[in-house]
Amino acid sequence: MAETTNKRLFIPVILGTTRQGRMSAHAANLIAVELAKQSNVDTEIIDIGLLPLPTNNAGEALKHAPFAALMDKADALVLVVPEYNHGYPGLLKHLLDTCLKEYIHKAVGIAGVSAGPFGGVRVIQNLLPVMRELGLVTIFWDVNFSSVQNVFSAEGALLDDSFIRRIDKFLKELIWMAQTLRFGREQVPLNG
Amino acid sequence: MTTSPMICPECGGEMNHHADKLVHSSEPPGSSANHHFEDGTVTEFHTCGKCGIGAARQG
Repeated sequence: MAETTNKRLFIPVILGTTRQGRMSAHAANLIAVELAKQSNVDTEIIDIGLLPLPTNNAGEALKHAPFAALMDKADALVLVVPEYNHGYPGLLKHLLDTCLKEYIHKAVGIAGVSAGPFGGVRVIQNLLPVMRELGLVTIFWDVNFSSVQNVFSAEGALLDDSFIRRIDKFLKELIWMAQTLRFGREQVPLNG
Repeated sequence: MTTSPMICPECGGEMNHHADKLVHSSEPPGSSANHHFEDGTVTEFHTCGKCGIGAARQG
C-alpha cells in the first residue's frame, strides 16, 4: 500500500458548462486552488468550453484525444456543474460519454452550482446514476454553491470563507477514495 | 472470459484485471460481437501496477 499512496495523485477539475458569464468558473477556480494545496496532488482545470464538442459524429470519432488522455491519467475527478432546469448541461454529458475505460474504478466528487437556494442538489442527484454507469465511484461529500452570486464577487473573489472548510472536507474524502481505488486498480484482482 | 494476463504497453509488466462491464450491443443474438451474453459483450479493464495506466479489451 505504501508505494501506491506515495505516488502523486492527478485530480483535474472539470468546469462543466460552456455558457458565457458562468459563475461556475469561480467555483472551479476555488476548488483547483484548494486542491493544489493538498499534499501529493496535481491538478488542472478542464474547461469544456475550450474543447471541440462535435455533435455530427458517433463512437470513437467523437473522442477528443487530449481529453481522453487526461481522463486516463486522472486518479479522480471533480465535476463543477451548474444546475440548469434541474438537470446537467447537455454538453457536459456529451463530453463525458466520449470515454469509458478511462474512468473505471476512479473517484469522482461533484460540486453543484445554482443561483437559487439549493446549491445544485438536484443536478448532483441526477448525475449519480450517470457516474455509476461510467464506472466512476462517487464520494458522499458534495460542495453546494447555493446563491452563487453571493458566494463570489463578479470578479471571482470569495465572499464566504466557510467554503474553504467545506471544500477541504470534500477534498479529503475524495483523496482518500482516490488513493484507495488506485490501490485497488493496481493491486486487487477482480477474481482474487 | 480471457484468462491470459494483459501486458502493459508501456513497461511490459502484467496488468491487474480489476473490472468487467457488460456493454450492450445492437448486434443480433449469437453474433460474434455478443457471444458471452445474449444481450451484450463483456469488456475487461486492466491497470498496470507500475505505470498506473489503464487498458481495456473484450473479455
